[in-house]
Amino acid sequence: MATIRIPGALRSLTAGADEVTVTATTVRGALAELERLHPGVAAKVLNGDAVKPFVKIFVGADDIGGLANLDTPINDRDEIAIVPAIAGG
Amino acid sequence: MKATIVGAGGLGGPLAFGLGAAGLELVIVDPDVVETSNLHRQIQFGPADLGGAKAPLLATAVTKRGGTARGYQTRWTTDDADDLSGDSDLVVDGSDDPDTKFAVADWAVANGKPYVVAAALRFGGNVMVGAPGAGCYRCLFEDPVPAATCAAAGVLGPIVGAIGGVAAALAIGLARGDRSHAGSIYVFDDLRASPDPRVVRFHRRASCPACARTKEVS
Repeated sequence: MATIRIPGALRSLTAGADEVTVTATTVRGALAELERLHPGVAAKVLNGDAVKPFVKIFVGADDIGGLANLDTPINDRDEIAIVPAIAGG
Repeated sequence: MKATIVGAGGLGGPLAFGLGAAGLELVIVDPDVVETSNLHRQIQFGPADLGGAKAPLLATAVTKRGGTARGYQTRWTTDDADDLSGDSDLVVDGSDDPDTKFAVADWAVANGKPYVVAAALRFGGNVMVGAPGAGCYRCLFEDPVPAATCAAAGVLGPIVGAIGGVAAALAIGLARGDRSHAGSIYVFDDLRASPDPRVVRFHRRASCPACARTKEVS
């Protein structure tokens, strides 16, 4: 199963879990499964059918924006990272 | 070896003390003055500094510890970048402004300089390392957006010390010529729960305009 790494800002929606495993075959499916398991997460990450501009999603080291976006395929051992931009200093 | 530190606040303090004590000659740039709401996390300042310009005050604090630093009370922009940072060997951003972070990274990429962009918020933060040829800050986040800032969302005081310390250590690595972390972002989700970062290595983005300008320059 693939693993989605949950950023700290979203863990209030995942009961504190820092990772969630999913059985999907694409990033889109993984996020849909995440939403089913933890409702409310998708609204924080997606704007309609696109990833919000201040959020990046990686499969391994690859930004899905340089792949097939939400249709990027994932394998069982893939790690999906959700990385939000922050600017505090 | 010379470094520019953009931002003299919560991240700029540990960056300046760390890099200054390591022997780097510093240029510190920040437009702001010290306010009461800064003191819980910007521990380089005290009540006596309220109302004073952060960058010169921090430069003085570095100098008192035996370092070499100059502070400029101005916003770092690309208009003045060549004057402020043209002779710096690396640039480190610890500002609290998305536009400034992109400007610093774009300028560093265009001028072939290694750089670090650090950010802290609430209980965690990010540190991105850049160097010529590696994926850049704009490859990663593409365009400035109204990202959350400490002023708006708050930050636990010690968090900036931890994130600033990591950024300083990675910057010292760059100063020593270590490019092994370039094109990586260290993500600290919640330092109250875990000190371990998640490290995401990312590739150059083919459509990145900042990297494209580098090709034009070279």
